[in-house]
Order: sequence, then C-alpha cells, then structure tokens
Amino acid sequence: MTKHARILMANLLFNKRNQMIRVFKNLYQYRELIAALAWKNIVLRYKQAYLGILWAILKPVMLMLIFTLVRSFVGIDTGDIPYPILTFAALLPWVFFQESASEGVNSVTSNAALIKKIYFPREVFPITAMVTKIVELGISFFILAGMMIYYKMMPTLYALWVPAIILYTMIVALTISFFGAAVNVYYRDMSQALPVALSLLMYGSPVMYPLSLVYQKLIVEQAAGKWSNDFYTLYTFNPLAGIIDSFQRVLLKGLPPDYNALYPGIILTLTILPFSYMFFKRAENWFADVI
Amino acid sequence: MKPIIEVNHLTKEYQLGHITSLKENVFNAFRRLARKPVKQRENFKALDDVNFTIEQGEVVGIIGHNGAGKSTLLKHLANISKPTKGKVIVRGSVAPLIEVGAGVNPEMTGRENIFLNGAILGIPKKIILQKLDEIIEFSELEQFIDTPVKRYSSGMTVKLGFSIATSMEADVLIVDEVLAVGDLAFQRKCFDRMEDLIKRQGKTVLLVSHNIRQIQRLCNRVILLDHGRINMEGNPQVVCDSFYEQSDRKIKTNIDHSQTRAEGSGEIELVELYFLDHMGRQVESLSYIQNCSIHFKIHVLQELEEVTFGFGFHTTDFLYLTTHNSEEQLKINRLPPGDHEITCKVNRLPLLPGIYSVRFGITAGKAARTIFYGESLKHFQVIGNIPITIRDGFFALDAHWIQENIKVIKTPVISIIEA
Repeated sequence: MTKHARILMANLLFNKRNQMIRVFKNLYQYRELIAALAWKNIVLRYKQAYLGILWAILKPVMLMLIFTLVRSFVGIDTGDIPYPILTFAALLPWVFFQESASEGVNSVTSNAALIKKIYFPREVFPITAMVTKIVELGISFFILAGMMIYYKMMPTLYALWVPAIILYTMIVALTISFFGAAVNVYYRDMSQALPVALSLLMYGSPVMYPLSLVYQKLIVEQAAGKWSNDFYTLYTFNPLAGIIDSFQRVLLKGLPPDYNALYPGIILTLTILPFSYMFFKRAENWFADVI
Repeated sequence: MKPIIEVNHLTKEYQLGHITSLKENVFNAFRRLARKPVKQRENFKALDDVNFTIEQGEVVGIIGHNGAGKSTLLKHLANISKPTKGKVIVRGSVAPLIEVGAGVNPEMTGRENIFLNGAILGIPKKIILQKLDEIIEFSELEQFIDTPVKRYSSGMTVKLGFSIATSMEADVLIVDEVLAVGDLAFQRKCFDRMEDLIKRQGKTVLLVSHNIRQIQRLCNRVILLDHGRINMEGNPQVVCDSFYEQSDRKIKTNIDHSQTRAEGSGEIELVELYFLDHMGRQVESLSYIQNCSIHFKIHVLQELEEVTFGFGFHTTDFLYLTTHNSEEQLKINRLPPGDHEITCKVNRLPLLPGIYSVRFGITAGKAARTIFYGESLKHFQVIGNIPITIRDGFFALDAHWIQENIKVIKTPVISIIEA
C-alpha cells in the first residue's frame, strides 16, 4: 500500500468514525425530540382504540397461533422446547425488526409537513420509528414472560444478553431504514417493495423453524452436497438468523449466544451501516425540495 | 462584530417537471456511456445570486410578488433547503415561525401539542414546563387546553401555534405571514409580543408578509425580491413605494386586455380616449394631486340635439368612484355629423396611487336617452408619493389633525378603540 493510499484509508476511517460520533451526539442532543415524537406516534395509534396498546401484541400472538397450527400438519423438530414459546420468542425480535424497518422507511415521507417547515437532523425520523416499536416490543415481553411461567421455564443469567441482542437488532433495522427512507423520498417504489422483501426474508429467517434445523440439515446431513457449509454461512449472513437464534438460546435454552451464527451477519451489518448512513445524510440535503 | 446572517451569492435551482423515472435514469446512464447528449430537464432559478448581510438586532422585511423567492430564501436561512450555489451563514439559533402550527397534530390535545411542538422547535422540556402556564394564558385557550385540537376552530389552532413558537428563545426569528391570525384582540397581542421581541430583547427578526404596511411599520430595512434577485434594498418607505408602483403596473398589464363594456345606439362612436398631464404631454399614467385633462374623440354619424356628456372613474372591480356630467358646464344644442373632441379638465387629481379605469356616457334629446355608454374604457395608473397616513382608500381628503386641550368632555363612550 502506498503512503498516499494509507492516508486516504486513514482519512476515510476517521471520517466514518467522526460520522458515527455525530450520530450519537445528535441522538443525545435530540433525545427529547425523539421521545416526544415517539410518544406522539404511540398516543396517536391507540388513542381512540378501546383496547389501546394491547393491539400492539396482536401481530406476534396471531402469527404464533397460525404457526403452531401449521406445525401440527408438517411437523418441525424443536428439541425439548415447546413449539409455541419457541416461535413466539422468534417472533418477538422478528416483528420488532420488520416493523422498525418498514416504519423507518416510511418515516421521512410521512413527516413531509415537518421536513418542509423546520430543520433538525433527519435521522431523527427513522430512529423515532424504531423507538416507537421498542415500546410495543416491551409489551410483547410481558406475554413472553407469561408463557415462560406457563411452561415453567426459568431464565438464566444468560438472559442478560437480551439488551445487547435488541441493540443489534436496532442497528440492523436502522441500516435498512436509513437507505430505504432516503430512496423512498425520491422513489416511492421503496415503500411498496420493502414489505414484499421483508415477508420473503421471514422465510429465510429461523422464525417458523429453529436454526438448529438448518444446522442439522446442512452441516450434519450435508444435504446440499459439497456446497452445504457455504450455504450455511450464506444463511447466517442474514443478521436475523443470528439474532433470533441467540434470543432463543439466552432466554429459553439457558445457553450463551452461538457466535458462529452471529458473526457473518454482524460483519455484513457493520460494513453496510456507514454507507447507508452516509447515503442518507447526503440525500437529506434535498429532502425538503423533492418530498 | 460579524453580522449574524450572511448570504453570499445564494443561488437555488429547481428542476422543472417530475423527478426522472428510474427508466429514464438508466437510459441517461447508457447515453453517458455512449457519449451521447443526455436529456436534461429545464432548470428554474428560484434564487439567483442573492447577497446581503443582517446585523444583530436588525428587523428586516422581505417583500415581493408571489414566486419572487421569499419563502425559498427563508427556507435557506432556516436550514431546511440547501443552496445550489453560494453560502448561507447564520451565527446563532433560528426560530422559524414559518406557518405556525406546522407541527400541530389535530388528534392531540392542546397541552400535548405544547410539549410536542416545543420539542420540535428544540425547546428543552424543562423550559416548557416553566413556561407552560404562560403559553396557555397567552393562547387564551385555558378552557380548551385538554381538548383535541381537531375540535378547535382554525383561529384557535393558530393561536396555540403562535403562543408556542414565540416562547422559544432564539437569536433569529423568522416570521412568514403569521401576524394576520386570530381576532383583532389576539392580533394586537401578537404585535405586542413581536414588538417586545424586537425593541426590548433586541432580537434579529426577518419578516415576510404581503401586508406591506406591517412591514413598513416594523422593519428598519426592506429587501424587495423580484424573480429570485434583489431588486431593491434599503429604507422601508422607499422600497415599499416602489413595490406598490410595481404591483400596480403588473395589475395594469394584466387587465389591459380585459374586455371593455360599451354599447351605443349607433348614432355616435368613441374614436379615441387619451390623457394629457399638467404640462400638456400625452401620458398613460396620471400623477396624484396634479392637474390633468381627459380627452374624448367622438365620431358623430347623425346630427344630435341637446347632448350631455358624463364621465367617471371606477376601480377595476367596478366600484364607481366619481361621476362628472357636462350638463351645467357645457351647453351643446346641436352636434353636426363629423369628428369632435370633448375635454374634461381635472384639477389636482385626488385619486390615491393605484389602478383605476374610465367610464364614459353620452345622452341626447329632451328625454336624455343614452346613445353611448362604456365602462373600463381605459385603465390607468395613478402614481405619486403619499405620506403613510393616507395609504388606504381611494381619495385623499384635504384635511389635517389638530389637538384641542380645552376641557375634558364627559360623554358616554361610543366605542373603545384599541390601536
């Protein structure tokens, strides 16, 4: 590497770090705004609904019931964990991710009125969309706790991993939201395409079935011949594979996260996130003109 | 000290038409690869090389026609839009009162909206809590503060928005057409608060309004924008007068082609109508409190008896301002066929600067039957400088104010005027 290239690299890395520092500074500086906007979202969504915020848990609970029903026909091996709680534990991070990402992508365009009238860093919108979803996630946790009591499962010390896993899920959702929200300002195709892509991704993530099943098929049985190991790595490049598996392990199985399932997704996310964020910040300059 | 706002060579271009589709983008990429000319969309310059600086504590008005670039300029100062070229430097925090109530959410109550809008404007929650009572009191909505805003009247919503926005402590206040809100009493409160911010707290204020008089009163400098360029800058009186003349001229060119309403019996035709000023020169616009004359050239086809002429001024929306008949001033018993010219001399034209039009009628015979009548026959502009005291209306009275301190007269109050 020439000296020039080294300086360039150092600069790039430094800039990226600077940018990241700015994100956190902004996050701190605009925490009150994010809180107020998130609170507004929640109040608005459930204000005139009799059941109020209980609607937030409808989606994971319904999906769990459907999956449980389907499983009674096809038979999915889940080891010694009862299927309903296993799939519910998978749906928790999945629904959180899916909703944060799709709300995040729409968050800029749905706040067009504000964007045209007043300035604050625009990343506030995708972040707010996510914070809103955290509240709903929190409520789902109560259901999960109830189910754990029902199945007489005790969380172990490994459950302390949960905040870290949720944080990682947030970063993955933001990576998609930043890029998607910026593109959506110019081309609304994004908000149409994303739900389709996400529902496809659900089948590519261990939501209906556990990751151990994929591991069993590919690594143990070598079902895809000599490509089996590569396919498994490819599968774990999906950050949700690692997230869901770890979530189930630390909460239900009393095991530490499986790093082999986690790291490909982490590498992918951390590589894309800076570019996604930079893209968003560059596009931000024209939001008010284009939106 | 450096100026608080610096605008250097600010240019903003918008592309006309729709955003290019994905398909077109791909085609353009191919064209670029093939080194063929790329289809370009037309650009529109909303702001074109605008330069100015504003010192701390100045109150600057920005005026101009619709589409002159006022709002675009404010958007750049508030950091909402980014310039295509040039630079905008603002040394201090900015409170944009651009259309107050942009962040007011109809589903939430007034109180909830105070907190939400406060956060949007960047007011710390601590300060909002401190000022909550003051904000509610100023908005005059104590009774409705826990009612959703969707049940408010539009005036109430704006009151709420204004109360929140002005409680923000910023160095620069940007105000876009907000003072014309609420009822008269609330407008007065808004004005008082604005004046308080300007005079006592020494804030820098940028004001955009179509209410030129407001601008003239509040500002110590006015910038006139025209098609994205600074047309004029400086003393409010001078700039505003020039703006008035410009808009009058624009109105005139817009209505010149509008139909004149004229009908006649066919015995007479109006050939020409023209003005002469006090020097005897033919002019298209008349001067306020100057002498002038109005000339009607007519072509008589049949001999007429006992002819009376009448002319008057009216506004462009057909409000008759004057009528002047020739009956007692000009006795015409017989008018033979051929061309004739009748003149009406006007002393010290009392019409205030603006756009007016001429109507003209002719009657003949003992029964004074109308043989010609026309309205909007000629549009013209009255120009001239007038003191601010008689800005509104159509006429200037020859009048002046005096104060008589004789004794206190005890009479019942007819009306309380708060100005």
